[in-house]
Amino acid sequence: MNPIRKQRLYALIAVLIGSLVATWLVVSALSENMNLFYSPTEIKDAKVDEVTLIRAGGMVKEDSIIKDTRTLNVTFTVTDYQNDLEINYEGILPDLFAENAGVVVRGNLKKDGTFKAIEVLAKHDENYMPPEVAKLINEDL
Amino acid sequence: MTPEIGHILLIVFLVLSFAGGFLPLTSVYLKNQTFEIPIKKLAFSLFLLIFLSFLSLVYSFLIDDFSVAYVSQNSNTNLPFYYKFAATWGAHEGSLLLWILAMNAWLISFMFLTKCSDKNFTNAVFSISCQVMFSFCLFTLLTSNPFERILPIPPLNGADLNPSLQDIAFTIHPPLLYFGYSGLMIPFAIAVAAMLFNVDTKEWAAYSRPWTLLSCSFLTLGIALGSWWAYYELGWGGWWFWDPVENAAFVPWLLSVALFHSLIASQSRSVFGKWSILLSIFAFATSLLGTFLVRSGILTSVHAFALDPERGVFILGILGFFVIGSLLIYSLKDFKKDEVKPYQLSSKEFGFLLNNLLLVILAVSILFGTIFPLIYEAATNGKQISVGAPYFEIILFPFALALGLLQGIALYLSWGVTSSFNFLQRLTLESVSLFGIILLVLFILFDNLYLSSFATIFLACWIVAGTLQVSKKRNLNYWNFLKKRLAVTFAHVGMAILVLGVGVVTSYSIEKELILTPGDEFEFGDQKITFQSIEDTLGPNYFSKSANIIFEDEKDISSVVTEKRTYTPSGQLTTEAGIVTEPFQDLYISMGDNLEADIWSFKVQIKPFIRWIWLGALLIAFGSMLAGFNRIQRS
Repeated sequence: MNPIRKQRLYALIAVLIGSLVATWLVVSALSENMNLFYSPTEIKDAKVDEVTLIRAGGMVKEDSIIKDTRTLNVTFTVTDYQNDLEINYEGILPDLFAENAGVVVRGNLKKDGTFKAIEVLAKHDENYMPPEVAKLINEDL
Repeated sequence: MTPEIGHILLIVFLVLSFAGGFLPLTSVYLKNQTFEIPIKKLAFSLFLLIFLSFLSLVYSFLIDDFSVAYVSQNSNTNLPFYYKFAATWGAHEGSLLLWILAMNAWLISFMFLTKCSDKNFTNAVFSISCQVMFSFCLFTLLTSNPFERILPIPPLNGADLNPSLQDIAFTIHPPLLYFGYSGLMIPFAIAVAAMLFNVDTKEWAAYSRPWTLLSCSFLTLGIALGSWWAYYELGWGGWWFWDPVENAAFVPWLLSVALFHSLIASQSRSVFGKWSILLSIFAFATSLLGTFLVRSGILTSVHAFALDPERGVFILGILGFFVIGSLLIYSLKDFKKDEVKPYQLSSKEFGFLLNNLLLVILAVSILFGTIFPLIYEAATNGKQISVGAPYFEIILFPFALALGLLQGIALYLSWGVTSSFNFLQRLTLESVSLFGIILLVLFILFDNLYLSSFATIFLACWIVAGTLQVSKKRNLNYWNFLKKRLAVTFAHVGMAILVLGVGVVTSYSIEKELILTPGDEFEFGDQKITFQSIEDTLGPNYFSKSANIIFEDEKDISSVVTEKRTYTPSGQLTTEAGIVTEPFQDLYISMGDNLEADIWSFKVQIKPFIRWIWLGALLIAFGSMLAGFNRIQRS
């Protein structure tokens, strides 16, 4: 084989191997780390088991935040103005978490219909609305 | 009046950049002198126009002219003056002005520092750059005018700058990042001009290399500073979140690194000419794409710019124009055949090929993960998903590993064919010894070894050993040998330090959330932590609860303050972390919620080697800047 051809062949093999490995990685990593978003209404009929990580969100209901003063447990309710969802979280809430503000949480849906959050997402702007929540509200109007 | 002057200057800029965008090219193609314009003078005038326009916006901020909508949204009379100054680029409109200013600064530097043999080539680079600046200026004027007035009744006071942006790192992070992004315009313009005039690969690669290196250096600094800012200002001790806006900067960074490596081979051996052109186009395109993703609001991000779909469409238009345009030229052009010497599998050329392959595939996978939520939403009729951080970590790890292994042997390879791989023995010996020493140090410092960190730590040792090559030249010439490759030594050792920092901080960090009242003490790691007292403090535009905390171990006692601030104009809460920095670790505490009277929750963390991440990034930036300046001098 002439040297230039050989050189092209090497390059081609490298590209093929690289792309195959990457595709495999992307597909497997994606299938494990894709978190679907559910609104409080959608989550009612959702068939989600207790271990699948999902995201949920809505507006935090007034007077629904209950903080335990001995542990870091906190319970609050989010709403899309049609249905409510009770959320439990253990940990410190982000600064921009407040009543009547939009919030997105990540965690698992429990059998009793409540949501166990492992992460409460914060944005660093008080006027910011998570797009998922903004969409829910716009749909209602 | 000042805002109107700024506005008019911007309009004049628009007109002149339009002229600059096609007149020089027309005169080249028609071979007609009547269209010829003095491009250096024009470049200076453009710079002056945009600079003065920018200054007039700065001035409106400094004198609290709240009749200007942008000022009223991002400033306040109580804001300290240096933040008023920095607020100029605190949001979308002003940062666009800064962006255009940066592009112009790059263009002028290129025109004065890179001497091209063909005048037409410089003309073409100038024209293409003008087209880019024109489109950005048009975008600014039509969708994001920073000089818009609120008339007839201006507000008495402004809404204030976003509190988390009122910070020293923020004042310099955006300009550095914008300089990095906008710098990629130069390699793009050079690549297009090289296609138009069929310039030799060697020649145009030499023009492009310093500018790619310098943009990459600015990108590195900008990203590192952003990471540092997120670490201490957001209050939760994370340093990288795989947020879309971070990825939007990381992808062009990866491509610019790939590009300047590919350009080394292009300049020295005339190889990868067409590849380098494509890479220049895509590096520039991803910097625009990042802007689009962040500013259009179609992706959920912690960076909340005022969102506007119309802007998104406009940026997409700009992106489409330049990418499709340049790819069209690429596909229609008959490329001149460069004379290429063949290379073997063991050659330096093949090393660069692998380096580029890995970097580009990594960049594509990260970009894919970033925009996948959009694809999914479109394909499933509105179902929304997010791609979690583990996705990016799973992708990054094998590629980073392969890149690091390659980086360790890269500097031993020769052009064409590497005659002997005897160096592998010494390299292994050196890196294993270094690995042992570092493990020993870690064990002494933290009384613990984590298997999970071994791969990254070894990788760091491998890169250092392969870069310094201590045993290769064991004579007096060693320093000369290092001096000759000072830039690459800084950059590659910097990468090793970064890798080491990431490896250690990922495995050795500890954190805990807990509830305390003043006077409480508790043990955490080797530290005894005391919550001494809590007091009210008052700042220029905020009031806060400050907790005094004492960290105490066998050797020293340090006291820090962590605050919960309420900014008065907006009522927004922020957390100021208390951080004790030691050479090998950071002690980090941040205040949580007030649960009852004096009962507060806290989050405390110990982060070993975290500073090494940014130290490594600084060295990388320094190395590539040094290389960039060296190249400018030589050309």
